[in-house]
Amino acid sequence: MRALLLFLLYYLVVTPAGLVARLVRDPLARRKDPDAATYWIPSEKP
Amino acid sequence: MSDLVLGISAFYHDSAAALVADGVPVAAAQEERFSRKRHDSSFPSQAVAYCLDEAGVSFDDISAVAYYEDPRLKFRRVMATLVGAAPTAFPFFRDVLPSWLSRDGKRHTDQTVRRELQALGRGRVPPVRVRRHHESHAASAFFPSPYDSAAVLCVDGVGEWATTTLWHGRGTTLKAVAELRFPHSLGMLYSAFTYFCGFKVDSGEYKLMGLAPYGRPRYADLIRDRLIDIKPDGTFRLDLRYFEYLRGRTMTGRGFERLFGGPRRLPESELTEREFDLAASVQEVTEEVMLKLARTARERTGESRLCLAGGVALNCVANGKIVDAGIFDEIWVQPAAGDAGGALGAAQAVAMERGATRDHVGTGRDAMSGALLGPAYDDDEIAAYLTANGIPHRRLDDEELVKQVADGLAEGKIVGWFQGRMEFGPRALGSRSILGDPRDPGMQSAMNLKIKFRESFRPFAPAVLAEDAKDYFDLRQDSPYMLLVARVAAAQQLEVPESGVTGLDLLRVRRSTIPAVTHVDYSARVQTVDERGNPRYHRLLQAFKARTGCPVLVNTSFNVRGEPIVRTPHDAYTCFMRTNIDMLALGSFLLDKSEQPAWTEKSDWRAEIPLD
Repeated sequence: MRALLLFLLYYLVVTPAGLVARLVRDPLARRKDPDAATYWIPSEKP
Repeated sequence: MSDLVLGISAFYHDSAAALVADGVPVAAAQEERFSRKRHDSSFPSQAVAYCLDEAGVSFDDISAVAYYEDPRLKFRRVMATLVGAAPTAFPFFRDVLPSWLSRDGKRHTDQTVRRELQALGRGRVPPVRVRRHHESHAASAFFPSPYDSAAVLCVDGVGEWATTTLWHGRGTTLKAVAELRFPHSLGMLYSAFTYFCGFKVDSGEYKLMGLAPYGRPRYADLIRDRLIDIKPDGTFRLDLRYFEYLRGRTMTGRGFERLFGGPRRLPESELTEREFDLAASVQEVTEEVMLKLARTARERTGESRLCLAGGVALNCVANGKIVDAGIFDEIWVQPAAGDAGGALGAAQAVAMERGATRDHVGTGRDAMSGALLGPAYDDDEIAAYLTANGIPHRRLDDEELVKQVADGLAEGKIVGWFQGRMEFGPRALGSRSILGDPRDPGMQSAMNLKIKFRESFRPFAPAVLAEDAKDYFDLRQDSPYMLLVARVAAAQQLEVPESGVTGLDLLRVRRSTIPAVTHVDYSARVQTVDERGNPRYHRLLQAFKARTGCPVLVNTSFNVRGEPIVRTPHDAYTCFMRTNIDMLALGSFLLDKSEQPAWTEKSDWRAEIPLD
């Protein structure tokens, strides 16, 4: 039962969410950026 | 009354506990040494108990407990990974998600920690404060360092999100400057190659590092072209299409196999030229990134000193290149650079916030007590053990002990050396060490095959009197924790005929006056020993030098392959009797192998200790 719920959750919710998110901005920032001078993410000021 | 903070790392790898008094580490140990399970990740209850016993306190005396990672932030990264990798990662999703979502699951690790501590029945446990993974690394790198201010660089596999972080340490504060995030990780890249070359991830990386000098970096350009995009400042992104870790536990996939001409090497199978060359290649790329990051650290902080931590800081060859490049005046590496050190760092971060001062700054010394922060066994305890078990031994005074051990070493004997407080971190530093004569051309082979029962390509490392280090090694600074690699000095190198020898045959070529500790590329992972850090060890080196003229000894950890470093006299005696160690110095007691009764065991211990 739990396996089925996870299965449905994954393909009906997580997968579409992932595909939509990647259209806008990849949550994992995977693509390389040849124009960027750096990949550093500055830390926020406290 | 001291302000005591206890730090904990647990549940991923290298669980540990560390106790800090007014900001100064007073006790620290990895759980593996107690449980005898290498890299043990379970809750470190024995390590915690040891820390409390060492200080003679209960939880009622402890002001705060610190945990080395933020479980809720980590959960958000796991979720982002599962979403980002959809729809291809269902098995990973199915296996991993429930452990995070359940009521006392991984999102609430800090509460689990508090519960487990309370269950020890040693007083009322204060609330557990969470410190981020990289902040814990950075704190472990900077606060015990000798520097008033420094650049701090932490590079590892991953914490919550950050994989590479740059900090500016000043006084008792650490300011975060910039970071790189999962899935872009130098530690993961190195682990991927570790896996592909048939070694165990999270424990086999340093074997890959040791393999590199046997090969040529034939694949480095391919790696730079396809796997990792490196910017001039050392920051980078990986091409995740070649890796599998977003989908589960395997590190590399079919794309990786196609790139490097075939499937991964299976564990324990024969090593081929491809593995030597892959090791050399990923090592070259790792060094390039670390050097560029080090330069950036200098530019962005303006500091002339660097502190390092995180698993990649255990890559002592890369550390050595940073020193050789002279980017900084001096660098300091946290001896427990991996996750065990996170326990110490988390405790120190909290201690600094509570008003601890760094009194050691300005004395030129660090606050790690030579990394000798674990349990010791005094002569009475050792005597009781030897007598209770009918073990033949002689009790000697310090001068005689040191002299007899030095004589034995000079005669080619291999000596187990068990003295004082146990080391914190992966290296043995003269408290739980196996020692040998580095001038002996047969020593490396003898130790690999008959003592450690491990792969024969693996080099051994030297300990040298600090005052004589420059005669033997091209080292620009001290290296008390064996985390810097340097070239053997020209004066010690020998003429080697051109012979076109490659691969493992390079082992048989004698290239220096100290062959047992000279790796095939003339490098050595050096420990400089001064008088104050470990006085008896220093006296031993002096005695060996008086006897032989050589101020260097082979120093390898006191354990067989796959086993954690020994903790107790019994652990030491067991290892002594299972191997070809000739003499054992347990505190003031000297044991001769020839005088020992026959050793029998009920089962085959070599089959029982899992290979690492």
